[in-house]
Amino acid sequence: MHIPDGFLSTETWAAAWVVSAGAVGYSVKRTSRVLKDRTIPLMGVLSAFIFAAQMVNFPVMGGTSGHLLGGVLAAVLLGPYAGATALACVLTFQCLVFQDGGLTALGANIFNMAVAGTVGGYGVYRMIARTSDKRAVVVGTAVASWFSVVLASVLCALELAASKTAPVGVVLPAMVGVHALIGVGEAVITGAIVATVLKTRPDLLYKPKSSVEV
Amino acid sequence: MEHDFIDRYSRIDSFMSRLDPRVKIVGLAALMVCIVSTAPAALPAFAVYGAIILVLTRLSGIPAAVILKRMLVAAPFILMIVLFIPFFRGETVVLSRTFGSVTFSVTREGLILFWGVCVKAFLSLLSVILLTATTDFPTLLKAIEKLGCPKVLVMVLSFMYRYIFVIQDEFMMMRQAKDARSVGGSRLFHWRALAGMVGVLFVRSYERAEAVYLAMCSRGFDGNVRTFHPFRVTVADAAFFLTLAVSLSCVKVLGALYG
Repeated sequence: MHIPDGFLSTETWAAAWVVSAGAVGYSVKRTSRVLKDRTIPLMGVLSAFIFAAQMVNFPVMGGTSGHLLGGVLAAVLLGPYAGATALACVLTFQCLVFQDGGLTALGANIFNMAVAGTVGGYGVYRMIARTSDKRAVVVGTAVASWFSVVLASVLCALELAASKTAPVGVVLPAMVGVHALIGVGEAVITGAIVATVLKTRPDLLYKPKSSVEV
Repeated sequence: MEHDFIDRYSRIDSFMSRLDPRVKIVGLAALMVCIVSTAPAALPAFAVYGAIILVLTRLSGIPAAVILKRMLVAAPFILMIVLFIPFFRGETVVLSRTFGSVTFSVTREGLILFWGVCVKAFLSLLSVILLTATTDFPTLLKAIEKLGCPKVLVMVLSFMYRYIFVIQDEFMMMRQAKDARSVGGSRLFHWRALAGMVGVLFVRSYERAEAVYLAMCSRGFDGNVRTFHPFRVTVADAAFFLTLAVSLSCVKVLGALYG
């Protein structure tokens, strides 16, 4: 789902850069308001954790495999703003070091996966996990993970279509179809990871109301 | 475990690695913006971009095999998406084959688009490789910061760079331990074990982050990081930037006149 350079029209990637820069800037501000001088070390190490968690591969079908996106995992553990910041850092690193996704397309990739996928997924998670009941948290995480992967793939397809690289009728069903499957893997693994954290250190899970005292 | 590959070639002493990283970033970013905004049919423009990249590659002193290898890593992603392009869009059918009840037709418009996306993707890829292979990551981050990227974000990225391999190593060791102890079993079992590992990894990372924070506090950290790193724009930088700017504007002006 990492869009390479050359796939998006100038209007599309430039607009995505502007939106993503604003959204990430806002997230960084919100994160540092809560974490204060802890922001840098905490976010740095936890972004590295999200990067390592993305090494988890799972088979999709026909020999292809997907890796963990980690958007909802980041949002459930760190909160939506810190989660979006961490994911934006991971995507920037992947783009610069591994050439995974283009530099002009980085804005669009950040928007799809770090902004919409993470914050949108977090919204779904909050809707399901209203109480701190453990089952609700795990189920909410799983559903939100699936949703965030599919949402990111829909946005990716729409951007490709808006750039006239592929017609909507082909790229949308293809992207959503594949990612609906990848999303199941993401949901199972993210749900299980959160279940483990709930069992061992439930205090580390992000709690929206008491977030002033992280 | 070895993780040196990121900065291995930035230690080569060459014209490209001696350039001021800010100039290098702005120059190569301008090149990439020109590449992706050129119409697919403008062949001479792509030839010029290709020539510029070739010259810069020679000046970087990085072995061509290394650059090709890095390109191959990214190639499957690009090719996987791009291969479907010739089959849709456009009216002028160039080639048509019928397999049973399904007809595949390649159109002229589709082929032009296919060429455009491929050439843009690979030329941009080469530009990013040139930038990151001739600049070590900490210097690249400092330059991004000097160019106006929020300081907090740059600091988070530099911490991430520092800890990525520590945490990755921890994960690899956990996976090795799991593989050594569990052979066979159902897929569900392996997934659950994997998820448990990532959960434990999160707890350990969090605790490590707190320990790092406390260690920094005890050394006087107050949320600001001070660095010594003078960046100087030299004659070579100016020459590099002017040559690039002039050739890119020539391509754009000529393209507008005769395109």
